Amino acid sequence: MTTERECDQLLVERVQAGERQAFDLLVGKYQRRLMRLVSRLVHDPAEAEDVVQETFIKAYRALRHFRGDSAFYTWLYRIGINTAKNYLVTQGRRAPTSTEADAERAEAFDDADSLRDINTPESMLASKQIAYTVNAAMEALPLELRTAIVLREIEGLSYEEISEVMACPIGTVRSRIFRAREVIADKLRPLLDLPVDKRR
Amino acid sequence: MDTHKKIREHISTLSDGELSDADLELALAALQSSDGQQAWNTYHRIGDVLRAQGTPELSDAFASQLAERLRAEPAPGKRAARGNGAPARAEAAGEAVAAKPAIIPLS
Repeated sequence: MTTERECDQLLVERVQAGERQAFDLLVGKYQRRLMRLVSRLVHDPAEAEDVVQETFIKAYRALRHFRGDSAFYTWLYRIGINTAKNYLVTQGRRAPTSTEADAERAEAFDDADSLRDINTPESMLASKQIAYTVNAAMEALPLELRTAIVLREIEGLSYEEISEVMACPIGTVRSRIFRAREVIADKLRPLLDLPVDKRR
Repeated sequence: MDTHKKIREHISTLSDGELSDADLELALAALQSSDGQQAWNTYHRIGDVLRAQGTPELSDAFASQLAERLRAEPAPGKRAARGNGAPARAEAAGEAVAAKPAIIPLS
């Protein structure tokens, strides 16, 4: 049986042998996954799409050096994350520091009040409030924490794979994911502590 | 890090299936407390919420624009064989491409 990683490596080798169409197959396979990842870091969909496109171009240019010591997708994700970081910096949208994040979280949390006026069944409202609160907390997280939890929870990467993508030790991955969860959980607690019919 | 926080970190790691055997007993014991159960449930709730959200679709023009840009690129080709028995460094050049923007300070 050919594993996903082996299959990718075969395609990479075909690209390296001059078969450009093999890269199109890798694009077809990873474009939506990459968009899912990048859109968590760069929120405007059009801008996220530009970052995805730039990521594939960079990967194509660098592919001659790729030997398969790591999985293709961890290598691609790494290029994608760094391209997104670069994009945010050049756009003057620095990733929030912890202090900024605290302020933004507080602001975002106040905004959650507006959802309480929506006239929907209680349970739906509660779910919306929870989703809104998780999103607001996510957006205010420092970029390295947000990236770590997205790679784990949405992309399903192992700690070892995340350490490859983020170029940091596994212990740092573990700590970043935990810290991200703690910040989000702290914001969720007031909602989760209350019975559904008391959340309005 | 205080003890409760350390234990919650164990629970977080356990929820990802990444906890070492050495810490397993401590984490399982913590899950018998209401605080431990609440942390476990909240961490999983966060993951469920994150996974439930949609992803923006790529535009119809994405594939054609990318294909056009790729056509303008020279074929990547195979890198030159490493000489002199130099130690292979993991994805050395590709890693450099990937890692280059990381030098930009984020805060």
